[in-house]
Amino acid sequence: MYTWISLRSSADLSQLASLIPSEYSPGVVAQNLASNLSNAVKAVLIERNYVDKDYRSTYYNFYAKKGQRYRADCVRLHFFDETVAFDENALQLRCSDTRLQDHYFGYMILRPTGIATIGRSILSPDVRKGASGFIITAPHKVHLLGYQLFVEGFPSMDQHIDISVCAHAACWSILRHYSERYNVYREFLTHDITMMAQQFNPGGLVPSKGLQVSHAERIFQEAGTFPVHVARDINKPNDLAFYRQMIAYVESRFPLFAAMHIRGHAVAIVGFEWRTPSTFGLPGLRYAWDEVKSLSVVDDSQLPYLSVSTQAGSTAYCALDIDAFIVALPEKIFYPADAVDRLAPALFKLGSVVGLPKQDETIIRYFITTGSALRRFARDRESEFDPKLLQTIMTLPFAQFVWVVEFATEAQWAVGQIAARAVIDATASLREVMPLWLLHSRTEALVFDRQTVNLNLSTGIRALKLVGMEQTAFTRMEQNLRTTQTK
Amino acid sequence: MDKKEDSIFDLIEGLTPVAPYQLAEFEQAMNDEVIPAIVRVVEERRLLAVESRNRQLKC
Repeated sequence: MYTWISLRSSADLSQLASLIPSEYSPGVVAQNLASNLSNAVKAVLIERNYVDKDYRSTYYNFYAKKGQRYRADCVRLHFFDETVAFDENALQLRCSDTRLQDHYFGYMILRPTGIATIGRSILSPDVRKGASGFIITAPHKVHLLGYQLFVEGFPSMDQHIDISVCAHAACWSILRHYSERYNVYREFLTHDITMMAQQFNPGGLVPSKGLQVSHAERIFQEAGTFPVHVARDINKPNDLAFYRQMIAYVESRFPLFAAMHIRGHAVAIVGFEWRTPSTFGLPGLRYAWDEVKSLSVVDDSQLPYLSVSTQAGSTAYCALDIDAFIVALPEKIFYPADAVDRLAPALFKLGSVVGLPKQDETIIRYFITTGSALRRFARDRESEFDPKLLQTIMTLPFAQFVWVVEFATEAQWAVGQIAARAVIDATASLREVMPLWLLHSRTEALVFDRQTVNLNLSTGIRALKLVGMEQTAFTRMEQNLRTTQTK
Repeated sequence: MDKKEDSIFDLIEGLTPVAPYQLAEFEQAMNDEVIPAIVRVVEERRLLAVESRNRQLKC
């Protein structure tokens, strides 16, 4: 039931073809792995007769109804580094430091479907060739030979082709991440996803006829999220506000369902990489999007964490091909990213009160976080804050979610620092003149009273003089996406 | 009779009033430009999403 393959080089992966039955397409899978996994993977453990819930959901509802006989079980491949060994007699995994967890790179399930056989997979970004930057991940529990392991990654799978297409796979990936990451969301299997797209069971092969974006929206709504569908004019790839909010949501740890209508393709955006910071003093107001080098996507036709450039180049597609995305939000984020995108530069009108950098020398970054996370961030960096500002952040009765806007000069951006920060109420209405909780720099703060409707500008805003922050490291608020550590 | 709630400002030390003229430019920009632009762009996005919804994804 278990077979161990030690890898001296990626070419040794070809052994999979002789060890796994042909309906799992082991030759194709071996070639894919050899091309796309790093040399840090030094061993593969083949686990046969694996019962995979996602494949079984399609087996019970589709493959078992076919005249051709399909197996009910899957094969699972586990990936390890060079320190791990397998005792075939004792069925034991051994490593020198007894920390097996640290030497495990995840798993890949193979379905007995003949084509597109890569099923549910959780791979560490660290061993994916070309993966880089920051990736949205969750810890996934793995039971193997009585060991309980965890792998940090984002779910991926090939589309089934016959009963699901790329858009189903992207929805499944995002929802499986949600169910692992947030206990408020339940788990949906592959077959569930194909059914959730429709108002009624379309039966047979209908899902493979494709999916409209509205169907993907319906899947996320059925899953209990509040999907926001953002589109740009397909003839206007220079709609930068579209891309600015796209990266804002990814930075906020929301994976995105992204559509490329020109290609009829959908992927999940799960990460990004910053470009090397400029030190040339580029003129003009810039945004976080302008500093992004590439996006990391889960594409059902590739291994996960494919790096997609923000500019057209040699890859099959680039970020500019994306013309619509769906972000599956929790409830209570009413103030849209488009509003934040318009409001942020207007805050320079308060620059003389608060002390913002010059508008044409600033990089603006905005994202969603929770009031709790903002307080935790401030608590962890108490030394960066005037105690009165810390007291303000701890006292303001934030709604659950806030938009944070950060203002940084080019020099500050390069070292992960900022000049000022605005905290916007994510539950604000579009027509509010002052949808803010707080706006502060290193020297001044404006505090807004949101305890009453119709803020009185004379009495509802107060200033706070800050001291001792001029020379402190005023840190950019990172959102805990996982940093890829290429191995 | 309910006890009057403390203003949030009573709970934070060191706050001082802001002269209305310091906020006037921002308020005017919000009323004259930013809020109308936000309302317009949100409506435009809604219409673009309507178009996008029916587009087919299959590959």
